[in-house]
Amino acid sequence: LIKRAGSSFKDVVTGRLKNPFVKVEDRSRHYRPFYLQLPSFPVLNYCVPKPYSPFEVDKKHPSGQKQTQSKQRNKINSDKDCGTPVQLPQKDKKKRGYCECCGKKYEDLQTHLESEQHRNFARSTEYQVVDDIISKFVYEFVEYKDDAKKLKRTKCST
Amino acid sequence: TAGIKKDIEKLYEAVPQLVNVFKIKEKIGEGTFSSVYLATAQLQTGYEEKMALKHLIPTSHPLRIAAELQCLTVAGGQDNVMGVKYCFRKNDHVVIVMPYLEHESFLDILNSLSFEEVREYMFNLFKALRRIHHFGIVHRDVKPSNFLYNRQLKEYALVDFGLAQGTPDTKIELLKTTHSEDQQGSCSQNNPTIALGNGVSVSVTASKQIAQQSASKAADKRSSSLSKMQIKQGRGGKEDSAHHSVQRSVFGERNFNVYSSPYQENSGTKLIKQSKMIDVSSRKLVTKKKITSTKTVSNGAARKAASGCPSNLTCDCYATDRVCSVCLSRCQQVAPRAGTPGFRAPEVLTKCPTQTTAIDMWSAGIIFLSLLSGRYPFYKASDDLTALAQIMTVRGSRETIQAAKTFGKSVLCTQVVPAQNLRTLCEKLRGTNSSCKRSHGEAPSKSVNDSALPVAVDKLCAPETLGKQIQRLASFQEGDGSLEMKATDMKGWDQVPDEAYDLLDKLLDLNPATRITAKEALLHPFFKDMRL
Repeated sequence: LIKRAGSSFKDVVTGRLKNPFVKVEDRSRHYRPFYLQLPSFPVLNYCVPKPYSPFEVDKKHPSGQKQTQSKQRNKINSDKDCGTPVQLPQKDKKKRGYCECCGKKYEDLQTHLESEQHRNFARSTEYQVVDDIISKFVYEFVEYKDDAKKLKRTKCST
Repeated sequence: TAGIKKDIEKLYEAVPQLVNVFKIKEKIGEGTFSSVYLATAQLQTGYEEKMALKHLIPTSHPLRIAAELQCLTVAGGQDNVMGVKYCFRKNDHVVIVMPYLEHESFLDILNSLSFEEVREYMFNLFKALRRIHHFGIVHRDVKPSNFLYNRQLKEYALVDFGLAQGTPDTKIELLKTTHSEDQQGSCSQNNPTIALGNGVSVSVTASKQIAQQSASKAADKRSSSLSKMQIKQGRGGKEDSAHHSVQRSVFGERNFNVYSSPYQENSGTKLIKQSKMIDVSSRKLVTKKKITSTKTVSNGAARKAASGCPSNLTCDCYATDRVCSVCLSRCQQVAPRAGTPGFRAPEVLTKCPTQTTAIDMWSAGIIFLSLLSGRYPFYKASDDLTALAQIMTVRGSRETIQAAKTFGKSVLCTQVVPAQNLRTLCEKLRGTNSSCKRSHGEAPSKSVNDSALPVAVDKLCAPETLGKQIQRLASFQEGDGSLEMKATDMKGWDQVPDEAYDLLDKLLDLNPATRITAKEALLHPFFKDMRL
């Protein structure tokens, strides 16, 4: 479904969105439009049992009939975000993310925290802004006596 | 579990000051940017108290940490806004100590709350929102798991300022941004991709593509959003946002076509397989110091041209069902998105660059919608536009499109869906709609289904699927005091006043400019006789 439009630009490729879709564009027309093409438009389903969302597609009707909602992946060109959290065992969870301190993304949190760059930042004076606020707090704790503490710690990682 | 024990060990190790001060009992929450633990501490008053220890992810920028602390110290500690007791730091590890409020799981109590409890809950939520909005804080992540509720004590606490932003006139120094009307765009370094419904993407290069984004990676910061494990409840933790400001700017960009090299010299078109879109979002904070020559951060009245974006190229696709290499080669508009999908206001979902405290009021409306309908989460969408489509099915597609115009967005939707009558919707979902007719002066339900639409028609379910209350109603025939019994059994749900739905309508106002404020909500007739 590609056509070459004879416009003032050569090689302008035009695509037609498949129904049903939602398309959003800033009225300034200065930005890239974003759109979503769905297998089917969402429907309020009153038969989903409480407390589930009326847009829930996985919950069977109380009557036992299967949902006929297509499970096809939506074709979308806008950001996907977390739907259902993926429950992975704690240990093989690779924590990827973005470090605001170093201004870079990382594949594994722990590895990044141990990197030279991050460790330098961690020990820098950048945290003065935090310490300034901390200095205004009133410390009102009493240390527990070291009685029967299982937490004998001598080692301190930095 | 063993994993949590280990986390506790590690926390003591990372912040040794905690060792003789806190007995950390358990982990009570985990989000993308923090983990929260329950601990006890001995206070100088002689009492041992429960505390919540919030351990921030060490990748948080010190300015963000400080801003969160400032929100807690300035706005917190009263009017149902969480305060802070202390804060510990060792290098990049920061632990915020807050009073612990034992709280219910929203999902667990949702369908056992009385109508009066719902009224009190909302009243107290607005008190908290009025307070933070007074200080010019936009919370951005208002949802049940961030509004702690102790049913017995009738105590409430709005928590988590980790995603907060300031209004232009914010009183929180560290949330101050060089606010401007400018809009920031981000150009993906990749070629525009037209993903069509036939499972084919077309990667194209506009012939007139102007200077590509500088190779500086700042423009293209991405990271995978972590899988969230919410211990207490609630799905989907936080996300990232982008903010068109100098002080902090957090990006949630989408990685287009991840395997295509930015240096690809392709002319014309290329057919490629539809790639599995990768979830990307990142949290990026831009400080004044950090501004380099990269073009992503535009401040003041920056021209879009500054971002090396062929923005002034027009095409005929606007408001049509078409996209082309011209419009797809423009920058993506970047606007704040932080928050939880089902609670995002339409102006957030459509990337409106100017977002106000009204986005929190929308989120409060979504909570209210859950309370009135007995459904949580109410919306269930994995992406912003699905969320928008779901909003349309409740508030109406034409209404949504109309409102979007007022904040500068053209929304095109193939489906015409009518606005639902909120009372009818909530009662049907709650299963209390079979109660006898009340005489409430309400407009008739607008939810007339256009039979020409290729959408499934809303259908009411068989009686056996309705709430238990209904069945109980049938058994009231016998016995004395049946009226009293009915009243206690229905907990006020058989006579929800019109004011409730009027307030809900004003909270879920699609136009942020006219949406009710927290201050106004507290004065709404729904709360008459409640003391402020």
